[in-house]
Amino acid sequence: MREDESTAAATTFASPGKVVPLRQPDTTKDQDHLTWAYQTHVTAIYQYIYSRVGNRPDAEDLTAQVFMKAINGMRSDVSVPELRSWLYRVAQTTLADHWRHYYAEDIAELEEDVSKPLAARENPEAIQRVDALMATLPESYRRVLELRFLKGYSVRETAQELSLTETNVKVLQFRALNRAGRERGRTP
Amino acid sequence: MNDDPETLDQYVEDLLQDRKPERTPLPDEDALRARQTAAMLRAAKPGAGLPSKEFLERIQASIPQWVGEQSARPQPVARPSRRSLLLTGAAGLAAGIAATIGVDRLAKQTPPAASQALVTNGTWKPVKALADLPEGTPIAFRAGAIEGFLIRSGQDVKGLSAVCTHMGCILNYSKFRSQFECPCHGATFQTDGQPTDQYETPLPRLPSLNVRIERGQVEVYTA
Repeated sequence: MREDESTAAATTFASPGKVVPLRQPDTTKDQDHLTWAYQTHVTAIYQYIYSRVGNRPDAEDLTAQVFMKAINGMRSDVSVPELRSWLYRVAQTTLADHWRHYYAEDIAELEEDVSKPLAARENPEAIQRVDALMATLPESYRRVLELRFLKGYSVRETAQELSLTETNVKVLQFRALNRAGRERGRTP
Repeated sequence: MNDDPETLDQYVEDLLQDRKPERTPLPDEDALRARQTAAMLRAAKPGAGLPSKEFLERIQASIPQWVGEQSARPQPVARPSRRSLLLTGAAGLAAGIAATIGVDRLAKQTPPAASQALVTNGTWKPVKALADLPEGTPIAFRAGAIEGFLIRSGQDVKGLSAVCTHMGCILNYSKFRSQFECPCHGATFQTDGQPTDQYETPLPRLPSLNVRIERGQVEVYTA
């Protein structure tokens, strides 16, 4: 994004021109509306999921799952606001399911509060969440996470920058992520 | 088995390289939280997290088909429970997706005509004071279900949808080039909503929004 020169809108939603009722039984036109309504959410849902899983292949798989499940489980006379929150709800259960493959205990408490306003859970705020989290960490932890994640340094480059061995960088990264994970758990 | 720096770093490396991390079971909740935190940090890297063109084309082409299948069935009385969703095996779903997203169906869909509207039982919502709008420069806003731009010309204000008619990404306005630009695939539109790009099939224009001015406030009709 070219933040410096552009006026960027924060999240995805579309709504074209004239106002006509969406609720008409099962016409082709109706299906087009519904299709369009789902299509306009793809990027937002993808970004939401990416900010939780942090890699493209998982984000793609899970986004496709969310839309399949959401479309399957929703009435075709859904209103736009309903559709939007329904998609986010399906995204949350899909993510919870994804993490359950890693750690099978009940992780309900790790899931987010769906009642929070949507804006607070979407992407631009992800950066603020990271800033807030970083602020809770000791300097050395913050430094290693910044180099690795925000600057994309390799372990070797990070070791050089911090004058540590590569093994020490991995240990520091391990402690930093565990500490940050606990902090995050405390303040969602 | 305990979590250790080497194993965690493998996970981190996978994220940094945009590879799918191995889904091995973890020993405890701390290990899970550490990985979730790593994912969140990875996603905060500037420029990360936009869907690829290929993926958008695949899923955007699949959605009409899924909607068609759903509409053809008797309508469910209620939404599926969380439980029934979880019982649907991930493997089964993945296979279904692979089968459904056919390479041959890529991006041949034309988005529905611009005149179709999604707002039903909407209301007028004030979004900006007329006095706060600069002459001629589009200003982004979000009101209810609508993302749009307001463009003032004298005492008149026009509203345009900010959603790209290609794949549904949110457009930016470039002051330097005086046009709307899509961050996803570079589609461009003039400030009157006309597409200016060179796509094979011309994109529909940006839909206009219903806008009115009430006592100096610009209001938009939104759901």
